[in-house]
Amino acid sequence: MSVIVTYRLIKVFPGGIRAVDGIDFEVNAGEIFGFLGPNGAGKTTTIKMLNTLIQPTSGTAVVAGFDIRKSPAEVRKRIGYVAQDVGVDERATGRENLTLYGHFYRLDGKTIKKRVEEIFELVDLAGYEDKIVSTYSGGMRKRLDIAMGLIHRPDVMFLDEPTAGLDPQTRVHIWDYIRNLAKAMGVTIFLTTHYMEEADRLADRIAIIDRGKIIVMGTPDELKQSISGDVVTLSLVTAEDNDYNELMRRTEAALSDKPFVIRTQATDSELAVYVDNGESAVPSIMRLLASQSIEVKAISVSRPSLDDVFLKYTGRTIRAEEGAPTTFAQMQRKRIRKQR
Amino acid sequence: MNLLTDTWFQIGRHLRTQLRIPVFIFVSLVQPVIWLVLFTQVFKSLSTMPGLGTSSYLQFFAPGVVVMTVMFGSAWAGFGMLHDIDMGILSKMLATPVTRASIIMSRIIASMVMLIIQALIIFIIAVIMGVDLATGVPGVLFAMLLICLLGLGFAALSNGLALLFKRVEPLMAVITLATLPVMFLSSVMMPADLLPGWLDTVRHFNPVDYAVVGVRDLVLSGYIWSDLWRSVVVLFGWAAAGIAFGALMFRAKAE
Repeated sequence: MSVIVTYRLIKVFPGGIRAVDGIDFEVNAGEIFGFLGPNGAGKTTTIKMLNTLIQPTSGTAVVAGFDIRKSPAEVRKRIGYVAQDVGVDERATGRENLTLYGHFYRLDGKTIKKRVEEIFELVDLAGYEDKIVSTYSGGMRKRLDIAMGLIHRPDVMFLDEPTAGLDPQTRVHIWDYIRNLAKAMGVTIFLTTHYMEEADRLADRIAIIDRGKIIVMGTPDELKQSISGDVVTLSLVTAEDNDYNELMRRTEAALSDKPFVIRTQATDSELAVYVDNGESAVPSIMRLLASQSIEVKAISVSRPSLDDVFLKYTGRTIRAEEGAPTTFAQMQRKRIRKQR
Repeated sequence: MNLLTDTWFQIGRHLRTQLRIPVFIFVSLVQPVIWLVLFTQVFKSLSTMPGLGTSSYLQFFAPGVVVMTVMFGSAWAGFGMLHDIDMGILSKMLATPVTRASIIMSRIIASMVMLIIQALIIFIIAVIMGVDLATGVPGVLFAMLLICLLGLGFAALSNGLALLFKRVEPLMAVITLATLPVMFLSSVMMPADLLPGWLDTVRHFNPVDYAVVGVRDLVLSGYIWSDLWRSVVVLFGWAAAGIAFGALMFRAKAE
């Protein structure tokens, strides 16, 4: 049974930006469905249409049995939404935050009280119910944020970049919570992420989205198997920067017609060579390049990752697309851009 | 029914938030006392002036302090909404079945509750300092009605502007720019008879003036219905216009 079905969903923003450009997919009951793509790919716009915060320009979707255009109020009763920004009131206690949401979902006082206890237990915040949220750590706030979307036992939870901005250790923790919640409450989860590892570890099925379109969909294994063999990644040594592209071309030409090479793919800094067997390919590659006096700076062999899947279908890496902010000032700028 | 319960629970949230900031309570109680003491000292010599309607500037100015406190308090009300927008609290709420109107209504009503308590305290302090209330307790209640209408208009307007701008800087600039002239372009500080002609004309377009004229009548003179009816009607219009603007901005800008 499908919990989410979309029908050629399109969102065009003023100025003609096609943020979501006709997407179709289905999410089955009980699964964790991951929407993977770089920033600006249309992930958040999709989530906001599905949870009725914004209206599609055309097309529609059925969420938890109701049409998002015709019955948004019915949809809202059956979904939980956890945005990228932690939407909890820091000046209230955890219990107050959760209780308010219980009332919004028309639960009676007794039920709310019972569920608050249950949920705090479930997200491992027991004992912190009556502490003011500003005393919580970042990971605790995110867990409370997730808990607030659970109090009414929704059919679907929408998680928009659930671990963005969290440190790696907390991230792994949150993954565990999400998995446990999905299992314990039987809730279907729709999550967006630009972390390949997150999609890989958490999602039962993944749709890769780029520039408003779904490029490919499947289980993480299916997607990775669509790239057979291994990936040998090369970076090269050049005397001057300006002949780097030329060097890449020469290297690609030297390798691409060899029988053990399936495909090559150049990015700004590296060359990915897809081969049947990575370990045995490395000596041949080294010999070939040495004969053309191309000097190799580094070489590595790996199994294909979702990044390679993204690279195969778009010719770009998510990492390069994402332009992850590295400084606080960049993060601020990003935040400001987002608000506009 | 849902509208009422949603509003009720959110009012609870807003009031709890304010009461948890002890500095806020301290400032909002101490500030009017400073107004009352400081201004009556600065303008002490005005007590002998004709046209004041009383022989004490304190008596004249106390209604002005009440109106000013309400105006300043409610004009800044939009910052609560801005906080919710900034923190992502608003968009998270909008994905729940909460009635839309309750979000802005609860904010405006919570501001009113705080301001009524503040206004009452100012009245009590004024009486302790020697102000005579011409119409007694019923007059104070009437004054509360006028004050509430004034504050509703400002609070709704401020919330509307918060939704329109969605940023601290423009909201702060507009509020700072608007509140001081609005106060001076009225008979808050000076009796109308002593104002220059143009200012006496301008004040008739200022809701603050209608509030201060009404409250001052009730404190100094008694029920002067010709003034009071006008104040009630104009302030009703002001409150309605403010709420309409706030509601419009909410529908258009809250996503």
